[in-house]
Amino acid sequence: MSRNPADHLLTPGVHYLQGAQACAEGAILAGCRVYAGYPITPATEIMEHAAHRLPQVGGRFIQMEDEISSASVLLGASWAGVKAMTATSSPGFSLMQEVISFAIMTETPLVIVDVQRPGPGQGYITTSQEDVMQARWGHHGEGSIIALSPASVQDMFDFTVEAFNLAERWRTPVLLMAEETVAHMRERLVVPPLADIRIVNRITPQDLGIAPESYLPYGHAQVPPMAIWGQGYAINHVSLVHHADGNVTRYSPKVHFENVARIHHKIEDNVDEIARLDARWLEGCRHLLICYGSVARTGIEAALEAREQRNIPLGFIRLKTLWPFPESQLRARVPDLDTVFVPEMNLGMMKHPITEALRDRCRRVVSIPSLGGLHSPELILSRIYEELA
Amino acid sequence: MKKHPMLKYLKEEGPAGPRLPLIMCPGCGVGQVLNYTLRAVDTVIHEDGLRPEDFVFISGVGCSSRLASHYLNFDSAWTLHGRALAVATGALLANPKLKIIVFTGDGDAAAIGGNHFIHTCRRNLDMTILCINNGLYGMTGGQVAPTTPLGQTTTTTPYGNVEDEFDLCRLAQTAGATYVARWSTAHPHQTIKTITRGIRKKGTAFVEILSQCPVHFKTAPAEMFRGLKKSTVPLKKAGRKETQGRIPVGEFCDIDKPDWVARYQKIIDRLGSDESPHE
Repeated sequence: MSRNPADHLLTPGVHYLQGAQACAEGAILAGCRVYAGYPITPATEIMEHAAHRLPQVGGRFIQMEDEISSASVLLGASWAGVKAMTATSSPGFSLMQEVISFAIMTETPLVIVDVQRPGPGQGYITTSQEDVMQARWGHHGEGSIIALSPASVQDMFDFTVEAFNLAERWRTPVLLMAEETVAHMRERLVVPPLADIRIVNRITPQDLGIAPESYLPYGHAQVPPMAIWGQGYAINHVSLVHHADGNVTRYSPKVHFENVARIHHKIEDNVDEIARLDARWLEGCRHLLICYGSVARTGIEAALEAREQRNIPLGFIRLKTLWPFPESQLRARVPDLDTVFVPEMNLGMMKHPITEALRDRCRRVVSIPSLGGLHSPELILSRIYEELA
Repeated sequence: MKKHPMLKYLKEEGPAGPRLPLIMCPGCGVGQVLNYTLRAVDTVIHEDGLRPEDFVFISGVGCSSRLASHYLNFDSAWTLHGRALAVATGALLANPKLKIIVFTGDGDAAAIGGNHFIHTCRRNLDMTILCINNGLYGMTGGQVAPTTPLGQTTTTTPYGNVEDEFDLCRLAQTAGATYVARWSTAHPHQTIKTITRGIRKKGTAFVEILSQCPVHFKTAPAEMFRGLKKSTVPLKKAGRKETQGRIPVGEFCDIDKPDWVARYQKIIDRLGSDESPHE
């Protein structure tokens, strides 16, 4: 019997895994040692794999009584100094909005995976991108959010590690906006040598040489250092509008503005550091196809065919980060365009920030919607040919 | 003037100014419960060799939950309405060495957090739950709660409450808590002793503290305080003809069984990892 926890980690090299498993493995390698969840199709495989794997690496897994409590567990775990994650699907994601809002205000690092299924209501249990706006705007109140969009089993692994790193770096909840397609997909996963996997841990007051008596839980920097429970810092986590020292009295609109604007700007001022996109064939392109998630897989096939078969000067962009929306990166990369096509597994959601970002850069933005199923290259191509005919 | 001995456990002020006085209304019982709790914590610190940094206070939302807002010179969190026990679960799973004390109220624990309350007791998670029961929603202005007596008028039962009240101790005991007790703010010594036992108990300890809300019951604090004494009866005298209708107070159960973390640790040990999250 092994006594070395490293022996229980996924070994570097080539694996053949389901996206859900790759996600759970990425979490473990990122340092996640508390997992709480509630079963829901099509996200359940992540929690089943976490239930199997967490105790092997000395972590703790718990199946809670609902999605609200599952997300709430992450708060306590994070404050006690342990990285924590939950995964759910769209109806459960609705229930987790309460914790997302609270985690934004208390600046609590945690990771929530939403394996999207179509709605509204029970909708169906197939694939979807219908929660991409809920990811940004579902929680009450102000506060920006970080949301990533994986397109492969490799991404389910890499982006989960990245989600933890971003949560710790920016002291904020991070959402992995997966889809049933990528969670249930099985394909090749390459795990790099463990030393090559970048792991970010939160800055603590001890790291900065700040003593308990001069520690401000919501001060010192745009991203405040975070004290861990049990280490003598007597940190009081509060979500009521607070001063830098956590005092909740003497409310004023000025205190309110300073508190919430900082939380907003720590993300929005750093979009270029946080957000990522991939681009191809932008030089000389007249039209552009913008995709995210698994739609990028059929999208790139469609773009390739349109370019090769019909000589259409079509560029391709894949958004890896949905929120904060990489507007400045998009504007810096794209030339003046005629038509921008946005295929999404919804009725046109990310179309809106794209339209806003390219307001003076293109003649029109065309949505290519699909509900409950991944676009075929033919569906995307037929719309492109029809619009450009 | 001599300072209150428990003030050493509170943050009187900070860089943004004073944090005291407590937000509670004059005559409210919540401050009394804070005093009783800190005295119990003080006892445990002195007698059991625990340090202040070993304690974490977690609360939800409501009058009782304001205790874990910004007053305590301990690690603490003032969390979501009803969710304190789920948040506490996460802290415990991350670091089982923490001594977790949850402040909750009757609305917080029995209504919006009812399901989390049941399952925390069932899982026998090692924490002390202090439920300050004032029989209504105080913070929002005196609405009916699951603990409001039958017939009582409140702002949302203007013609009287038609629902039976919840017995939270029976609920906790049935759900699986290992230590269950009830006292009132009018029983300071018993309450302090009981909270001390609850903190020392390995497993879920649930202590209900009946408390007065003079503002919303529109009754003088002293009268309410006397009422708490009159309307309660020690457990061993309960159920007799002459004590009928009075609320039993005392210890309802004190049993030993492995808590959640102990059972889970056996799995971790069997699987052969010696890495645990917080070491």
